[in-house]
Amino acid sequence: MLSYYPNGSHIQNMADLEVIMLEILRSLFNAILEGDQLAAAIHVQAAIDAGIDPAEILNQGMVAAMAEVGRLFEKGEYYVPEMLIAARAMQASMVLLKPKLLQNEVSSSGKVVIGTVKGDLHDIGKNLVAQMLEGAGFEICYLGTDVSPEKFVEAIRSEKGCLVALSALLTTTMPSMKNIIDAITGAGLRQDVKIMVGGAPVTEAFAQQIGADGYAPDASRAVTNARLLLA
Amino acid sequence: MDKRTVMKMTLEWENPPYVPWNINFTIPAKEKLQSHYPDQDLEEVVQNHIVNVGYDIYFYNDIGNDCVQDCFGVVWDRSIDRDIGVVTDQLLKEPTLKGYAFPDPLAPYVFAEVANQLKKYGDRFHLFGIGFSLYERAWAMRGLQTLMMDFYDNPQFVHDLLNSIADYNIAQINEILKYDIDAVMFGDDWGQQRRLQMGPKLWHEFIYPVLKRMYGVVVEAGKKVFIHSCGDVDELFDDLVGIGLSCFNPFQPEVMDVSALIRNYRHRLAFYGGLSTQKTLPYGSVMDVRRETRNLLELGKTGGYIFSPAHDVPKDVPLENILAFIEEVQQQPGFINPG
Repeated sequence: MLSYYPNGSHIQNMADLEVIMLEILRSLFNAILEGDQLAAAIHVQAAIDAGIDPAEILNQGMVAAMAEVGRLFEKGEYYVPEMLIAARAMQASMVLLKPKLLQNEVSSSGKVVIGTVKGDLHDIGKNLVAQMLEGAGFEICYLGTDVSPEKFVEAIRSEKGCLVALSALLTTTMPSMKNIIDAITGAGLRQDVKIMVGGAPVTEAFAQQIGADGYAPDASRAVTNARLLLA
Repeated sequence: MDKRTVMKMTLEWENPPYVPWNINFTIPAKEKLQSHYPDQDLEEVVQNHIVNVGYDIYFYNDIGNDCVQDCFGVVWDRSIDRDIGVVTDQLLKEPTLKGYAFPDPLAPYVFAEVANQLKKYGDRFHLFGIGFSLYERAWAMRGLQTLMMDFYDNPQFVHDLLNSIADYNIAQINEILKYDIDAVMFGDDWGQQRRLQMGPKLWHEFIYPVLKRMYGVVVEAGKKVFIHSCGDVDELFDDLVGIGLSCFNPFQPEVMDVSALIRNYRHRLAFYGGLSTQKTLPYGSVMDVRRETRNLLELGKTGGYIFSPAHDVPKDVPLENILAFIEEVQQQPGFINPG
């Protein structure tokens, strides 16, 4: 627990302690927002050393920062490079915080099984979605690209209640999304999961047509929709 | 009047006798069309108006396992996407060009077929296309996510890489200008379905100055500059016109207002593309395809527009839809089909 001011004298005032802790979280927030992975790692360690509750570090320092990244992306101020460096800073923080989260039995926002569908090798869009979801506190199971229906079914067998996120960049590979939903249904698992789809040619109408539960036009809204679907 | 003249009139808004077209196909779509015309040369069937004596991606060698390696050393997996493929490795593992040698821009294979092609298709508009010409070539060598982060992590390296690629391109452009060509087309995807990939700030800082240098060589020689850039990139049009852009492709209707742009950029920027490959062509009826094609031809009838699907025709387009838009363009009054 933090007990010294930066100048070395003892902290005797609880209010001052709270201010310092808030300042540490604010510094962590800013480091992630600015994509400074070194600063993010320093500040998350400082937060841990100060005895701040790990769940609070996660939610106030990291999830909040990634939510702001998403907001700025939707507003058109952040683009893919800014999202990537912010996600990298968040992941650097998470490496240090995760043992504390496990120790304190802090649960995730939910589990997401994500992959690019069979026949499609594009991955940056799907990776951005996964990183934003991780930044929002979800636990991610990465399946990669060119993922068969069978592999999706296998991955979700033990993950009841998870969100399945499907990505396709081409009109020629979009039909694979229906195949995956059909395979999940055929395996008797459809009622146990929620399914969200996305990718450049994918539309809300298409998502409804194939029986998906949700559609996200970008990584930021994937987070919003994931929270709604797993609420 | 030959096709080359019609194209030149189109690019100057000189009321061409009909709207010219140029239609490219992915390998599977081409095979589909060829099976419908088993004994015919598809060039004679389609009657394209452009001959591209350049290249779409790079020159490459087949290295087995459905993989090819291009002249820059990048390995592409073509097991699924047979036209372009997916980069399988990271050629530049560190943010430096030390130890890397660019291929010879004037290698014989680049220009080996130019004279023959120009002679064979002399009646068409002569275009030299450089595919993956700048930002795409950079990320193919460095990795897309890594290059995106390099904008912030290693800015000088990105400047050096882009300028080195430009030097390569300019050497080829100077050579191709010795031939009878009309335009150079730079292929480089900057867009997403919504907005730019890297955003306008980074685009202006890193990509724009290099484009200005490359386009300048073409413009100074009195030739036209074409670009291909997929996605939502129309916010860049004024800047690109300012450095010499004459014609934009692919002109995807899902991401930009094709009618408004043809009108608003009249006498400043011509457009090449426009027929939906995300919606109409794969999912629309024959009547939908005919209607959209006719609308585009109407929009472009006084010039400034070259008809084409908004990308190489993909494999999920029904044959009847392909035949429909080919028929529509060839039925234009003013076009005399030599076939």
